[in-house]
Amino acid sequence: SQGIIERDETPMEKEIARLHRVDFEFSDIFYFCRKGCEAIVEDEVTQRFSSEELVSWNLLTRTNVNFHYISLRLTIVWVIGVIVRYCFLLPLRFTLAAIGITSMIVGTTMVGQLPNSSVKNYLSEVVHLTCSRILVRALSGTIHYHNKENKPQKGGICVANHTSPIDAIILTNDGCYAMVGQVHGGLMGVIQRATVKACPHVWFERSEIKDRHLVTKRLREHVADKSKLPILIFPEGTCINNTSVMMFKKGSFEIGGTIYPVAIKYDPQFGDAFWNSSKYNIVSYLLRIMTSWAIVCNVWYMPPMVRKEDEDAVQFANRVKSAIARQGGLTELPWDGGLKRAKVKDTFKEEQQKNYSKMLVRNGSIG
Amino acid sequence: AGCSQCPGTPLSPLSSPPTVTSEQIEHLHRRFKQLSRDQLTIRKENFDSIPDLEFNPIRGKIVHAFFDKRNLQPESDGLADEINFEDFLTIMSYFRPIEMNMDEEQLDRFRKEKLKFLFHMYDSDHDGKITLQEYRNVVEELLSGNPHLEKESARSIADGAMMEAASICVGQMGPDQVYEGITFEDFLKMWQGIDIETKMHVRFLNMETIAHCY
Repeated sequence: SQGIIERDETPMEKEIARLHRVDFEFSDIFYFCRKGCEAIVEDEVTQRFSSEELVSWNLLTRTNVNFHYISLRLTIVWVIGVIVRYCFLLPLRFTLAAIGITSMIVGTTMVGQLPNSSVKNYLSEVVHLTCSRILVRALSGTIHYHNKENKPQKGGICVANHTSPIDAIILTNDGCYAMVGQVHGGLMGVIQRATVKACPHVWFERSEIKDRHLVTKRLREHVADKSKLPILIFPEGTCINNTSVMMFKKGSFEIGGTIYPVAIKYDPQFGDAFWNSSKYNIVSYLLRIMTSWAIVCNVWYMPPMVRKEDEDAVQFANRVKSAIARQGGLTELPWDGGLKRAKVKDTFKEEQQKNYSKMLVRNGSIG
Repeated sequence: AGCSQCPGTPLSPLSSPPTVTSEQIEHLHRRFKQLSRDQLTIRKENFDSIPDLEFNPIRGKIVHAFFDKRNLQPESDGLADEINFEDFLTIMSYFRPIEMNMDEEQLDRFRKEKLKFLFHMYDSDHDGKITLQEYRNVVEELLSGNPHLEKESARSIADGAMMEAASICVGQMGPDQVYEGITFEDFLKMWQGIDIETKMHVRFLNMETIAHCY
């Protein structure tokens, strides 16, 4: 997305060379000063962790930062909108969601009683698909799937960009996946325990997720079995606001197997799907989703990718990330989504200093 | 809509009429609120949350410049603990680009203000002179990341530059003369003839129909 200030993208060498009369000078500080000011006015990363602003208002107060009174007619329209959303849509959606979740738990538990067989797998797929579809209706989701011929196959790994917890439901609406994630408590935990009986999802205990080798081993075992459903992974590790794709963690790309990239882009005009976990908890997030107009999104299935001979996991991860960003019309950032909560490492600052001093040495200013 | 905190206050020590649009001020205000986490003032720690700034080797000096009272009000000194939005805008105004309709006198004042901002960045002990030690500090900060560059080399760069500055400002020095430091007048002399106004500015885009993140 475009910024608010004009950035000069000339590389550091050219810019500083222009300023020089002799080798090292007071002038070099200009370049860094200006870059610093630009970063303070606007930086690429922090803005990804807040919701995208819309050009025209969609009658939801939450997407209007400068909310102020414009006209009586608009206010009346807005009030009608509120009544429709809270008194009509919300109860309807809530009921549907309750039905969907209950069917999921009951259905998968029942299927789970059967002995392992192809009938069981078939029934499990039916239950998962049906309940997913009910849940998508509960959010008034309108999803357009593109390139269905590239849908993830069994034994593969499906990776997608992450915007919200409902990403998983968006994808399972159209196919069956083996999910990967942490074991939770509460309602989520109940759902997890029920579904794993019917379908081989990979739920990790908290302690296990810290041991990366154990995680990789379990995933590898799953992928090696070609009859198992494709695994669904979100390599960014956290929710980003759907205008850009951040660093893909390399863990998923070390497993081997075929990667099926999927790009998901939400249309913010009807409702904002982004979960800002530092601002809202899951309950208020679901409430906001259920009182939006709708969730409209596009899903692109992309052709499968495998790791090349001379590529390491990080390069492969970046290649997949670029492909997803390009398809979904998102910008690509090299930064780690973990920056939502953590500070930048000192090594980045040292990089810049190294580059600058290398330049000076080359110019022969040091004897 | 609009900035409720500063209705029509003159923007800066640069006393030409403010030509920043109210839209730009709104954006800066939103940015200010983001950095201050919805408080009325910003402290030094708030700048830690900007990843792009970490790239910058003189990050410390830039952040320091925001709290340097010499930049906030003319004829004052010392360090502020926190700044409000008006102060934030004041510092930002040092990076205003040149406007087409400026006359000679305004241009000259404009340039002087920008150079003064830079001078304050070098002169860390606020004594009105850039001494050899202060200059060395800046060079070291710019170069400290390189493990192959020894401290001696950084020093020799600084010494060389100071000698050059001395020769411009004082001319030939006698063998017993000691060059105490670069005063602001000397600093101005060094920059004569060099176009800095176009190097030290941040230009806002025309923001009419761009969708962006707040």
